[in-house]
Amino acid sequence: MLRSVWLVPALPLAGAAINLFAGKRLGRWAGILASGLMVVAFALALGVLAYLLRLPGNERLVVRHLGDWISVGSFRVAADLRVDPLSVTMMLVVTGVGAVIHVYSIGYMDGDPRYGRFFSYMNLFCFFMLTLVLAQNFLLLYLGWEGVGLCSYLLIGFWFERPLAASAAKKAFVVTRIGDTFMLVGIALVFLRLGSLDFSAVLRPSIESVQPSGVFTVIALLLFAGAVGKSAQVPLHTWLPDAMEGPTPVSALIHAATMVTAGVYLVARTHVFFEISGVALTVVLVIGLVTAVYAATCALGQDDLKRVLAYSTISQLGYMFFALGLKAYAAALFLLVTHAFYKALLFLSAGSVMHGLGGETDLKRMGALRRAMPFTAAMFGVGALAIAGVPPLSGYFAKDQILEVANRSGYLIAWLVALAGAFLSALYISRLMFLAFFGQDRTERAAHESPPVMTVPLALLAVGAVFGGVLGLSVTSGRLQGFLAPVLGELTEGAGGLPTAVLSVISVLAALAGIAVGWLVYGSGKVDWVALRVRFAGVHEFLAHGWYVDDVYSTSLVAPGKAGAAFLASAVDQRVIDGCVNGVGQLFQWAASRGRRLQTGLVRNYGLAFLVGVVLIFVYVGVRLS
Amino acid sequence: MKTPISYFVVLSAVLFAIGSVGVLVRKNALVIFMSVELQLNAVNLALVAFSRLHGNLNGQVLAFFSMVVAAAEVVVGLAIIVNVYRRMHTANVDDASLLRW
Repeated sequence: MLRSVWLVPALPLAGAAINLFAGKRLGRWAGILASGLMVVAFALALGVLAYLLRLPGNERLVVRHLGDWISVGSFRVAADLRVDPLSVTMMLVVTGVGAVIHVYSIGYMDGDPRYGRFFSYMNLFCFFMLTLVLAQNFLLLYLGWEGVGLCSYLLIGFWFERPLAASAAKKAFVVTRIGDTFMLVGIALVFLRLGSLDFSAVLRPSIESVQPSGVFTVIALLLFAGAVGKSAQVPLHTWLPDAMEGPTPVSALIHAATMVTAGVYLVARTHVFFEISGVALTVVLVIGLVTAVYAATCALGQDDLKRVLAYSTISQLGYMFFALGLKAYAAALFLLVTHAFYKALLFLSAGSVMHGLGGETDLKRMGALRRAMPFTAAMFGVGALAIAGVPPLSGYFAKDQILEVANRSGYLIAWLVALAGAFLSALYISRLMFLAFFGQDRTERAAHESPPVMTVPLALLAVGAVFGGVLGLSVTSGRLQGFLAPVLGELTEGAGGLPTAVLSVISVLAALAGIAVGWLVYGSGKVDWVALRVRFAGVHEFLAHGWYVDDVYSTSLVAPGKAGAAFLASAVDQRVIDGCVNGVGQLFQWAASRGRRLQTGLVRNYGLAFLVGVVLIFVYVGVRLS
Repeated sequence: MKTPISYFVVLSAVLFAIGSVGVLVRKNALVIFMSVELQLNAVNLALVAFSRLHGNLNGQVLAFFSMVVAAAEVVVGLAIIVNVYRRMHTANVDDASLLRW
C-alpha cells in the first residue's frame, strides 16, 4: 500500500495536466475527471491510513524514497515522502474535503468559459498541498509551500477581468511572499547550522545540543513568519479578506480548509525547534490569541457574506496557533480537522446562497432565505452551530479543549481573552445566520435552491461537521490525539485549573450567550439593528475596515513604496542610468564627428600620406644603416 | 662596355617621382592610372637592372609577375573607370565622393 503513496499527489497532478491541455475539449467531463481523481486519491489515502493503523504506535513512520532531487557536493536533497500520523491526517483532510469541494464545483462553476482551467488549477493546488504535507525535508515542503501560493494567486484572480479580483490576487501573492522570504532564510539557517534539511535528521529532541538555543529561536521565528503569512495571522492577515474575490469553492478549499492551515502544520511539524527555543512558543501563543480576538471583532463589522467567513477563518486559525503556543499540538490539529469540515461547509453554503441569488454577497440585501433555500439554510445552520461551539457538534469539542488547556496553562488572562473570542465567534456567526436566513426579506430577486450536485457535498460536509467531534472527545485520550501522539508528543496534564466539567459549562455558556445576543439584536426583531449601526457608525466603520490596518499599511508602507519606486523610475533610472548609457553614446558621436574630418575621402590625400610615410621609413632605414 | 648601375637607378627614381607626382596632383582618373603604370614600370626597371648587376634571374622573374598583376589591375581599374564615367559623366576622382561624410 505504501509503495503507491506517491500516487496520492500524482493523481491530481495528472488531472491538472490533462485539464490544462485538453480542458476545453473535455467540456463538462473536465470537472468529473478532476473530481474522480480526487476521490481516488482520497481512497488511496484511506488505504495508507489503514496500513499505518496496523503498525504499532511508535513504528508509524515510513519514508518512501522516490529518488534524488538535488545532489551538489555535500548538499543532498532527496524526493522523499514522509508517511506518519501527522502527514496522513493532513493528507486525509486535503483529499477528503478537496474531493467534496471538487464535486461541488461541478455545479458551481457550470457555464464558466474557463471551466477546464478552473479544475486544472484546483487539481494543481491539491498536488502542491499534498507535496507540502508529505514532504520529508524542508526544501520539498517549500516547493509545495510556494506551489500552493501560486495556485492561490491563480484562483483568487480566476475572474481576472474584474479589477478587484486581479488586485486581490496580487495582494495575496505579495503579502504571503513577505512571510515566505523569512521562511526561506529560516530553511537556509537550518541547513547551515544543523547540517541537513531532512526531517528525520533535524526534528529530534537531541538536536538541542548541536547549537545554542538562540539559534533555534531565530530559526523557529523565521519559520513562524512564513506560517504567519500563509495562515493570515496578524500582522500579515490583510490578504485573506480580499482573497474572497475568488470563486467560492476556492475560498472553501484554499482559504478555509487547507492552504491557510499549512502554517499550523508547519509549526506542528517543527514543534521541536519551538520547544527548544521557548521564546518562539510564546510568540506563537501571543500572535495566535491576538489574531483570534482581533479577527472575531472584525467579522462583526462586515456586510459581505464571504468576508465575515474570511475573518472567521483568520480567527479560527488564531485559535489553532494559540493552541500550538500552549504546546497542545494535537488540540490544534483537532481544531484544524473539524474547522476544515465546518468552514468548508459554511463557505459552500454561502456559495449556494450566491448561486441562488445570482452572485449577491451583501448581507443587507438578503434575509429570510430559509424559505427559498431551506436545505442550504439548514446546512449553514449546522456549520454555524459547529463554529459557535454548541455541543455535541465538532466545533464544541475542538474549541473546548483549547480553552481547557489554556485554563490549565497558568496564563489565566489568555484563557479569559480566548473565552471572549469564543463569545465573539458565536456572536458574529449568529449575526450572519440571522441576517441572511431570518428576518425580513430584503432580496432583490427570487432565490432558488441549488442543484443536487451542490447540495449533496453540503450534506457530506455537514456529517463531518456534526460528527467530527468523535475523533477527539478528550484532550488527553481522544482518538486523533492518541493517533498523533507519536509525532506530536503527549500533552502533559497541567496542574491546577478548573475541573473539566466546569470548563465545559463555561465555554458552552459563552457560546450560548453569543448566540443569544446575536438573536436579540439581529433575529428577534425587537432591536432595530440598522438604527444601531447608524448610531454607532464610528465603531461599525472601525470594525468594517478591520481596525484600519489595511489603511495604515497603505499610507505607511505601500504609499512610500510606490513613491520610492516612482523616484527610482523617474530620477534614478531615467536620469542616472539612462544618462550614463546615452552619455556614452553621445561621447562617441561627438568624438566621431571630430575624428572623421581626418578621413577626407580624397584618394590623393591618402596617396600623399602613403608616400610621405614610405619616404620617412626609407629615411629612417637609411639613417640606421649608415 | 657596361652601363653603370647608377644610371638605371637614377632613371628609375626619376620615373617613379614623375609617376608619384602624377598620381597626387592630377584629377582625371585615366591620367592617375597612367601615372600608376609609370611607377610600376620604374620599379620594373630597377628590378631588371639589379638582376643584371647581381647575375641572377630573381629580379626579372619578379618584374614579369608585376607586369602580369599590372595587366590584371588595368582590366579591373579601367572597368571601374568606365562604369563611373557612364554613371556620373565624368572621370574626375574628386567628384566620385558618394561614400564621403
